[in-house]
Amino acid sequence: MASCIYFCDSKGRSILSRRYRDDISPSAIEKFPSLLVDSEQESNVIPPCLTHNGIQYLFIQHNDLYVLTMTRSLSVNVAQVFAFLYKLVDVLAEYVKTVEEESIRDNFVIIYELLDEMMDYGIPQITETKMLKQYITQKSFKLIKSAKKSKNVMRPPSQLTKSVSWRPEGITYKKNEAFLDVIESINMLITAQGQVLRSEILGTVKVKSHLSGMPDLKLGLNDKGIFTSDGNASQVDSSTQKRSNIELEDLKFHQCVRLSKFENEKIITFIPPDGDFELMNYRLSTPIKPLIWCDVKIQVHSKSRIEIHCRAKAQIKKKSTANNVEILIPIPDDADSPKFKYSHGSVKWVPEKSAIIWKLKSFPGGKEYSMAAQLGLPSISDLEIPKAKRPVQVKFQIPYFTTSGIQVRYLKINEPKLQYQSYPWVRYITESGDDYTIRTA
Amino acid sequence: MDKKLKKFLQNATRVAPKISKKGELFELRNGLVSPYPQTRKDAIKKTIQQMTLGKDVSSLFPDVLKNIATTDVEQKKLVYLYVMNYAETHPELCILAVNTFVSDASDPNPLIRCMAIRTMSMIRVDKILEYIEIPLRKTLQDDNPYVRKTAVICVAKLFALNQELCKELGVLEDLVSALEDSNPMVVANAIASLTDIYETDSTVVPLPKLIQGHVSQFLLALNECTEWARITILGALAEYTAKDALESQEIIDRVTPHLQHVNAAVVLASVKVVIKNLPLIQANSDAPIFGKLSSALVSLMSTPPEMQYVAIRNIRIILEKYPHILSRELRIFYVKFNDPLYVKLEKIDTLVRLVDPSNLKQCTLLLAELKEYAMEFEPEFVSRAILALSQLGVKYSDSKFVSKVLDILVDLCETRDTFKDDCLVAMCNLLRHCGSEHDEMVTQVCSIVSTWSGADSILQSDYAKCNFVWLLGEYPGKFPHLQTELNSFIDSFAQEDSLTQMSILMAVVRLHRSIPGSTLQNVLELATHNAREIDIRDMAIMYWRCLSLDDSNDDLISELCSSSLPEISTTLDTFSPELLETLLRELSTLGSVYFKPLSSMSKQNRLHSNALRGKQLDELKSIARDEIAKNMNEETLLDLDGDISSNAHTDGSILDELNGLFDMNTASPSIQRSMDQMTLNDSGKTKSQSSNTQDLLDLF
Repeated sequence: MASCIYFCDSKGRSILSRRYRDDISPSAIEKFPSLLVDSEQESNVIPPCLTHNGIQYLFIQHNDLYVLTMTRSLSVNVAQVFAFLYKLVDVLAEYVKTVEEESIRDNFVIIYELLDEMMDYGIPQITETKMLKQYITQKSFKLIKSAKKSKNVMRPPSQLTKSVSWRPEGITYKKNEAFLDVIESINMLITAQGQVLRSEILGTVKVKSHLSGMPDLKLGLNDKGIFTSDGNASQVDSSTQKRSNIELEDLKFHQCVRLSKFENEKIITFIPPDGDFELMNYRLSTPIKPLIWCDVKIQVHSKSRIEIHCRAKAQIKKKSTANNVEILIPIPDDADSPKFKYSHGSVKWVPEKSAIIWKLKSFPGGKEYSMAAQLGLPSISDLEIPKAKRPVQVKFQIPYFTTSGIQVRYLKINEPKLQYQSYPWVRYITESGDDYTIRTA
Repeated sequence: MDKKLKKFLQNATRVAPKISKKGELFELRNGLVSPYPQTRKDAIKKTIQQMTLGKDVSSLFPDVLKNIATTDVEQKKLVYLYVMNYAETHPELCILAVNTFVSDASDPNPLIRCMAIRTMSMIRVDKILEYIEIPLRKTLQDDNPYVRKTAVICVAKLFALNQELCKELGVLEDLVSALEDSNPMVVANAIASLTDIYETDSTVVPLPKLIQGHVSQFLLALNECTEWARITILGALAEYTAKDALESQEIIDRVTPHLQHVNAAVVLASVKVVIKNLPLIQANSDAPIFGKLSSALVSLMSTPPEMQYVAIRNIRIILEKYPHILSRELRIFYVKFNDPLYVKLEKIDTLVRLVDPSNLKQCTLLLAELKEYAMEFEPEFVSRAILALSQLGVKYSDSKFVSKVLDILVDLCETRDTFKDDCLVAMCNLLRHCGSEHDEMVTQVCSIVSTWSGADSILQSDYAKCNFVWLLGEYPGKFPHLQTELNSFIDSFAQEDSLTQMSILMAVVRLHRSIPGSTLQNVLELATHNAREIDIRDMAIMYWRCLSLDDSNDDLISELCSSSLPEISTTLDTFSPELLETLLRELSTLGSVYFKPLSSMSKQNRLHSNALRGKQLDELKSIARDEIAKNMNEETLLDLDGDISSNAHTDGSILDELNGLFDMNTASPSIQRSMDQMTLNDSGKTKSQSSNTQDLLDLF
């Protein structure tokens, strides 16, 4: 189990720490910066676990911080440690907005308190922000009001240790509403020739619940597409049957969803936490064709110039539109004096990223736009090895559209005691994931 | 009017003095004893801030402590925080606070009860521990589960601080009975505490027995507790061995829903329980449970990089036991350009392991992908990709495919100057796999390699050089400037590392007929006098003896020179069966990420290679023992048993014995193979030779 938690700056020096056990001396942290440097010098590989002198350093990186825990034992559950560290950062983010060196220093009191509440003797305890906020109310920049209000009644909410540990009782809203966002991120790796090497859809269903009392929600998804319920035995061919089964398995649920109910009856039921949360996510690896396809031709005339021709096509339904399209084309570090020709959008040279970015505010389906750029290269070049071939990255958002075809059929809201009327709202959006890339030839 | 004025004045004077940001000690001290509560609180905060910054504010201890008796929960928390940090250095002052602790432990507010007991059990002062009995007992039986779950952990803390006292108080029994608690979180914390105590001293609590007795409770509690409690409970379930297939099946059924939890650690903990129970239910490979496992593992690949790293390392272990579990999910492991390097390297490794050698389409796809990687820029990544190319070639094994791989490698040699080392090693591996029958491949490799002038300075690593010299010795006909190449290596003999030295020695002996005698003489002399490694000296002496025998021993010499190394059949390392089982039991622990079982905790070295090596040596030793027995048999002409007599040679000249020994080189390919596996690639060839040498050593 974890012995301690440290927040360290980008060099690995300690900013704030909380020790849970005595088995590691406080001076062990002093070794961390040099450990980082050492392993960087040895090879560029810095795994998230380093060992020195029998002490294991496990850490994640977030903004300009290292969040680190140490342990002596190899029997520590590392998956749990990393999951906890990420959770810790999430929770802090709810309290101090951006978790970075400065905000850690500014909010040390509340962070100490949270660290005490979230972990005891190296064992993770309560990490549900909604509940923590009920009784950890030290003034942070955001929480001045509630601190005053609840000073005298500060005690742990009784739900904390009950089975519905994520929702306090007695919530009331004038208007009872639930908002569902179905967001699909597309990750895709495409060769310069247009062959799709890998494609996946990462979908999330986010819920914002403004509901009173202890409502019980039941979510129905279209049973035509992937979410075929078990009863539908008359599948067209066995191969799709097989595939849909696998995809169904890739569902992941928020802890409020009754997992065994889903396992047995394939019904998604839950008592939601108050406010925003991610209800479920899923992954599909069905082959899909590129939604935004770019044909990028880069010609390098060494020592004089580089020419780029890019044709982009929105391969989506005519009535859909892709918004905020950004096509990032890598260029050599030493290229300069750009000249652009384009019909739509705007093109910018971003020297700090060594790239040019073509932005299109809206890109209707079926349309094809093109762009040409020319940049000068220095006439003298040092005989360096060619730098990494970076891929073309594409970003986009397509509202009112899901690639997988998932649809919400119904969202039934039932609060047994209050029996109020409620309104579910549903939105769909497809966007690029963090890895929608096209390789350059 | 008068009243209003009065009130105004009062308000005006009651503004508490602020403490400046500098946090000078005297200022803080004044603040701490200030009559204004707001100032005192502010002062405590500032004190803690200084503490956070690493400044020594322990001299303020008594003043801070005075503020502990307050009704303000926030302030109390702050004081507790401070006390915990400095209690160790000021034990005598802590005694002043002990009464407050004890009374706080029965405060009506559960938050304060918790804080008091939590703090008390953290302070490493014997005198405090004397007072802990009553509060601890009380809180263990508290009405509020929030307090109980904290008290349960305090038992483990107390045990770590003072085992005797802990046993004396009998709180361990309370801890055990907490397993029956109605609240799942208390149960989970009790398991965690018991595990912790069990790890320190396994005689105090019968943990396995306790788990056995509570399996059904644990399974029930699983559905209604926090994610962290689930992990703990799943961890306990993974320790339990089911009585029969029926029970195993039930556990699997109850745990599989949790494969869909959003928390990756819960998923991995569930995977662990399922895998533990799989052998018992004897599921065939297309059972639905494998599909579920597979998608759970795949889903771990869309987590943050640190988690992916843990997942991939664990997948590596699971794959060895269930090789087909992810066979359709190859693409998931394709490298993303923004993955951190440590994830990229692991992904390449998984790709080569995962690819199905009977599926040409998949292999070709992967080949194209790896080629793409080899054109990247990070040196470690490219080296690993080049190695993976050769691994893929060896794995698919078909000569057409291998020659495709070879084409790519030759191409890389020409375009990527800095990776000649890796390319050469990769090419040699491929040649060792199927070069003996395919002359055109040998020619292809040698023709490109022979164009490198001054290979000994182009190549950097010992291992690459050693491979180069091996090529010289193996295919001398392909090198037009053989003599010059060899000489340049011989000239720098003393500067080379041991693998290269060994390789030079063997190559020269092999070629002794075609090169001037003085060269041979020179190398043997260098190797006997200038080599640091004892293996090399011994090898040289042995060769010397063989070569200086009478001319009538041409047979021996030619056999010596013509013997070829066994074919490499795989370049992927595997775990020994025992190690694999241990690692499967320890999935998701740090040990499993290092491939280092917990039992080896005290040892600093990576045990997996050690364990294997140890086994290997044992094997070799037993062979050596047989061999010695055989020799004895020959000398004494005693028939020990039939088995040996059949091996026995009738004339006991040294020569034949030697012959027999050299036979071993070819007669025991299995050893060689396992040797190759063990050292992966990194020392396939010469190591196996050197251990044979060691073997010989044993005999002489």
